[in-house]
Amino acid sequence: MDTSRRNFLKGIAAGAAATAVTPSHAAVERPMGDPGRRWGMVVDLRRCIGCQACTVACGTENRTPLGSYRTVVTHYELNDGDRPRRAVLPRLCNHCEEPPCIPVCPVGATFQRADGIVLVDNTRCVGCGYCVQACPYDARFINEETGTADKCTFCMHRVDAGLLPACVETCVGGGRVFGDLMNPESAVSKLIAEHRVDRLNEHAGTEPQVRYIGLDGRLKSKVEGTPSPLRASLKEVVS
Amino acid sequence: MNPELLELTGFAHEPAWLPWAVQYFFLIGLSVGAFLITLPTYVLRRRSDDGTARAALIAALTTGLAAPIALLADLHQPDRFWHFYLYGQHTSWMAWGAFFLPAYAGLLTLYGWLCLRPELAARAGSGGPVGRIDGLLAGSGRRLPGAQRTVGWLTAGAAALVALYTGAEVAVVAARPLWHSALLPVVYLATGVAGGAGLALLFANRAPAATQGLLRWLCVALALTGLTVIAWVLGLGGSGPARALLGLAEHRPLTFGLWLTAGLLVPLALAWFGRAPVAAGLLAIAGAWMWRWEIFMGGQALPKNSAGFYGVHLSPGPEGLLGIVGTLGLWVLIALALTTLLRPTANAQG
Repeated sequence: MDTSRRNFLKGIAAGAAATAVTPSHAAVERPMGDPGRRWGMVVDLRRCIGCQACTVACGTENRTPLGSYRTVVTHYELNDGDRPRRAVLPRLCNHCEEPPCIPVCPVGATFQRADGIVLVDNTRCVGCGYCVQACPYDARFINEETGTADKCTFCMHRVDAGLLPACVETCVGGGRVFGDLMNPESAVSKLIAEHRVDRLNEHAGTEPQVRYIGLDGRLKSKVEGTPSPLRASLKEVVS
Repeated sequence: MNPELLELTGFAHEPAWLPWAVQYFFLIGLSVGAFLITLPTYVLRRRSDDGTARAALIAALTTGLAAPIALLADLHQPDRFWHFYLYGQHTSWMAWGAFFLPAYAGLLTLYGWLCLRPELAARAGSGGPVGRIDGLLAGSGRRLPGAQRTVGWLTAGAAALVALYTGAEVAVVAARPLWHSALLPVVYLATGVAGGAGLALLFANRAPAATQGLLRWLCVALALTGLTVIAWVLGLGGSGPARALLGLAEHRPLTFGLWLTAGLLVPLALAWFGRAPVAAGLLAIAGAWMWRWEIFMGGQALPKNSAGFYGVHLSPGPEGLLGIVGTLGLWVLIALALTTLLRPTANAQG
């Protein structure tokens, strides 16, 4: 897949048709994916301005319930001596090579396509929440409208139609780059080859397929700092 | 808290396992624990007080029959429970539990019927609608010691599997350091036996021999709980779980202190000195519940990636307080039905 936004315009018509007929959170027939590809994402934090356009685009594209997010950008203030600076960290499902959410699923509702995308078959999911517990990235939640597990799908309905994920498509600074990790000529492969990239929670051993450029070491795993004072009341704010 | 790093935006993740899960693990823990207390008398045929085993059996039956309902309610798609049997995955402890739990509940019911059959037959002659039901349930009322022992062993196997799966299901979750401890199943079992003995004390009707026997079980179970928690804090179950438990205690000092004193030390002292058995039993039951509440709800309030603590909130609706009250109500209903079939309890003690 070519990750140039301009070239993707050609696929928009087909993609729009596909998204119009496919419920974004339902996978009635299990798409298997192309075994010749391995989809991944590189988030270039140098380009991310923390505008949450990706958060909004994802919610619009996938119709997630109010207050539930498949991706979100967290903001931090880091102090290096007496020099504070802002840091942003977009978080989403890492579509791990060794996804811990799959073996715990008691009914096999969570599965991985041949192209690496981890999905939830919400016609089979019993909503037990075991996968939510097992995910080290807190990337899953129980969708209160469907009563089933929900998470980022890399917008597989768009990807299968030749489009980019909604968050990538909408990213103002071009900070999210999506593509085929098995193709050395893809934009993601070139970024990985040319830059130092980091992954979140590497110690978990899940082989995440979302990589970051410019990630501060203090944000790589569980953040030890002062929590946001507004965090706990988000649910109340939106309800 | 690290003042060098401030989280400006973030959001609290809602717990995926609701208080229903606490209720399930509480009830099934008490059931398995109480069932173990019946084994010396009904299966091993050792000389021990029959009243101890009878009270523990009633505790095991009532909690064991109420527990699966709480588990079903914790599913966000309860009407799809049959998917466990159609699509079961051998890699998931929860999938195995879907087989272990009904096996245990079914065998426990059969075991209880075999053990209580002669008593039901004795009640059948008392007349009235309850007597007629007793008569129907008792059949010939003849003791079947061979069948009782065989079914008892099978139930013991199922109980062991339930204890194993309920502990392992949570302990394998590496993403939550608090849960990822090999000691977690041990504490579950120990608090389950303590709570089971505590509940049995309420059914023992203050019979001296039964009370003494149950207080001994209570004492041993609470001591094991305390020792295991000390080992946990010392890091024998891993440094991550030790840090997480201390972190949870730091965030919730009042509730953790309440569990430690009212749920562990006070009932242990009462059991040790043989005082106030009903109070000791009630506190042990509360301790078993509080431990599970703290581990499940407190554990989910410890962020996996974010800073700080989300906080534990109990909503008044069915996903919160109403669920807890409803489960308790179901247990009361089952307990009333069973004790009515077996009344008068005092006469049954002889």
